[in-house]
Amino acid sequence: MAPVLPTYQRPAYVAMSGKGKDAREPWFAVRRELSARRSTILTVISFALPLLIWSAVSYLPFLWHPDVQLQLSAHRTDVATVYVAGDRVSKGFFPQFQSAVREQNEALKEQLTSSDPLAGATESTIRRANKKVLRHLAPLLNQNRWINDDQYTDDEAIYHAWGEIASGENALKRPPLSDENIVIVQENWKAMSAIAPNYDSDNFISVPLLSLVPQGKASNPDYLPAPDEVLTTGIKIFNIPAQGDRPSMLQRVGHSLQIVFGGFLLAALVGVPIGVVCGTYPFFSRLVEPFTDFFRYMPAPTFSTLLVAIFLANDAPKIALVFIGTFFQLVLVVSNTTRRLDMPLLEAAQTLGASQRQLLAKVVVPGILPSLYDDLRILLGWAWTWLVIAELVGVKSGLTEFIETQGRFRNFDLVFPVIILIGLIGFFTDQMLSLIKGLIFPYTEDGPKAASHPIIKAVLFIPRLIKRLTGKPQPDRA
Amino acid sequence: MIPPAETIDYHAQAPEVSERFAQLKERPVVLSVNDLTKIFPSRNGDVTALKSVDFEVYRREFMCVIGPSGCGKSTLIRILAGLETETSGSVLLDGNPVAGPGPDRGMVFQSYTLFPWLTVKQNVMFGPKMAGHKEASVEADARQWIDLVGLSDFENAYPHQLSGGMKQRVAIARALANRPRILLMDEPFGALDAQTRAQMQNYLLQIWRNLDITILFITHDLDEAIYLADRILVLKANPGEVDEILEVPVPRPRNLDQFIEPEFIATKHHINQLIHPESERGGDTLPFPRMTTLGDDVE
Repeated sequence: MAPVLPTYQRPAYVAMSGKGKDAREPWFAVRRELSARRSTILTVISFALPLLIWSAVSYLPFLWHPDVQLQLSAHRTDVATVYVAGDRVSKGFFPQFQSAVREQNEALKEQLTSSDPLAGATESTIRRANKKVLRHLAPLLNQNRWINDDQYTDDEAIYHAWGEIASGENALKRPPLSDENIVIVQENWKAMSAIAPNYDSDNFISVPLLSLVPQGKASNPDYLPAPDEVLTTGIKIFNIPAQGDRPSMLQRVGHSLQIVFGGFLLAALVGVPIGVVCGTYPFFSRLVEPFTDFFRYMPAPTFSTLLVAIFLANDAPKIALVFIGTFFQLVLVVSNTTRRLDMPLLEAAQTLGASQRQLLAKVVVPGILPSLYDDLRILLGWAWTWLVIAELVGVKSGLTEFIETQGRFRNFDLVFPVIILIGLIGFFTDQMLSLIKGLIFPYTEDGPKAASHPIIKAVLFIPRLIKRLTGKPQPDRA
Repeated sequence: MIPPAETIDYHAQAPEVSERFAQLKERPVVLSVNDLTKIFPSRNGDVTALKSVDFEVYRREFMCVIGPSGCGKSTLIRILAGLETETSGSVLLDGNPVAGPGPDRGMVFQSYTLFPWLTVKQNVMFGPKMAGHKEASVEADARQWIDLVGLSDFENAYPHQLSGGMKQRVAIARALANRPRILLMDEPFGALDAQTRAQMQNYLLQIWRNLDITILFITHDLDEAIYLADRILVLKANPGEVDEILEVPVPRPRNLDQFIEPEFIATKHHINQLIHPESERGGDTLPFPRMTTLGDDVE
């Protein structure tokens, strides 16, 4: 009887149709490398996705937006709390705020038709309140580019604008004025213009004016500014020049870099030789490493006050903190790397006649350099994490001082660009170091590989993608 | 028709072969190992790796050391190189006791030990430079050694650009550049594929023939040992003792056709008997039940 052998069946992914051999490859396969093209695409997505989520949450009002940002605020005579345009109030509170102002207006109308229209107030008090009402329109005028940033108190211009709106000569468009507010503007203007067609401080209306009803748009809380706000404020804060003892943003960046690299380089300068010696001679390993191992568990920030006492003010205690935070790790990492050097290399060198001293200088040191380079790259990242704490030591300084101060005022649109900037500096430093590794160590397996680097490819991918999406016809080769 | 291997006496030597051995034994002794014992202390009692090992290697001799795994082959060569210290006994090189590693005994390891940060030429110059010679003065010499192993086109290549066989050829050149008295080779071709290994064996025989160099070569490959060696030292395991030092009756120059010569087969059969005695050969058949249908097309 002939044995029945099972027939060979193609795996599902082989049977899949598609153009190019890439299409036949599965996207998910355990430890199987993706093609260069797919790696590039995924690298782009890995950055695009968070940006997309952030944009979606910021720009799609139905996604989150628990607050209302005031475009137009109002003054309430019975409440001490003052909201100005730009403030955020919760969605639940906003209608109450509006109806309170409407009730206030109704009450005022009633009062004006009663026997005592001024309700006992002096003319100057009313006049002052009326000027406030006049200026309440200013933020909206500014947003519509009717007045400049420095014209919020330019009563003449604002007065003129009231007239334009009331007469219907000109209308606010972006953002618009609500219909009920247009009516209020018209009513107020009727009363105001009857006394003075142009603004006259001495001859300003002394009969109470109606308050504008607050207007606003759905928004996220102030701690999540939108990408475009972060970008514009980011550009803005970088263009502010240094003033007195307030450094410019570029000076702050320089100062922060000084502290990170100062502390890191000092730690490397002292730590690398110690680490190498520990990794080479068990004598030093036993002598140094146990204590180092203990010391690294004491968090560097706990030494901050001590460091200020020792090194006094300025940068010294800050650099010392980065040093303490990095040094002990560095010694252990470097000694471990040194110990991982292939033992047969050392034995081969000995059979070739290398003395003990030559072994250290001619085999151990050159042998560990590529791994040491990687270690230092990782430890530089480690040093970055101490930056914020270091800059809070003693007198606050650098980027952290800016973040701290602005964060306290809840100016998170100013804080975000700086946080992102720190991330970008760290990331690109690391990527650059990884890129030039191949140039410094041409004998390592990776060798020079700048062109195949995923980040470089991803950066080059974006203009190509835009070109393809915009559908510009490619110039004919022939 | 080749007669059965066990019926041939591997002691029988053709006249030119026995004359070679007579000449060989008149040459001065380069390496002399006397009553060498190595004991590794461990928690479960001492482990004797080598016990009273005694042998001599003559000038320009090619000696192979073979034995079952765990017989202490590597320990022996590491002691000879000075990378381990003996528990008792002595190792004499040209009559002088050996202490620690030195350039008079070149060593080629099984693992690739080229310095990855140095080019081929710089690797070959490593030994002379350690001895204090200036780079300029040893460069020409290094080129010559690289030529000798046939890698002149690769003198500026880095090790990671070379194949396994090329790496080992550079390692040989690097060891020879020190002009050692003896070349110690610890399974140097063990990591290579079969074809490269055969090629490397031929290279090695050519190098050995052209130079005044004594070679002690460790292997676990019977064919390799017989093909290369003048004499083969067979080690016994647990503890590592000299089982027999046998003279290979295959005439020189060697070639691949000799693998099926009666004296080659007889020697191989004999060593096989020594390393795997009849009593130990129980593992030839596996205890698994049959999982295929009888009468399958493979039988």
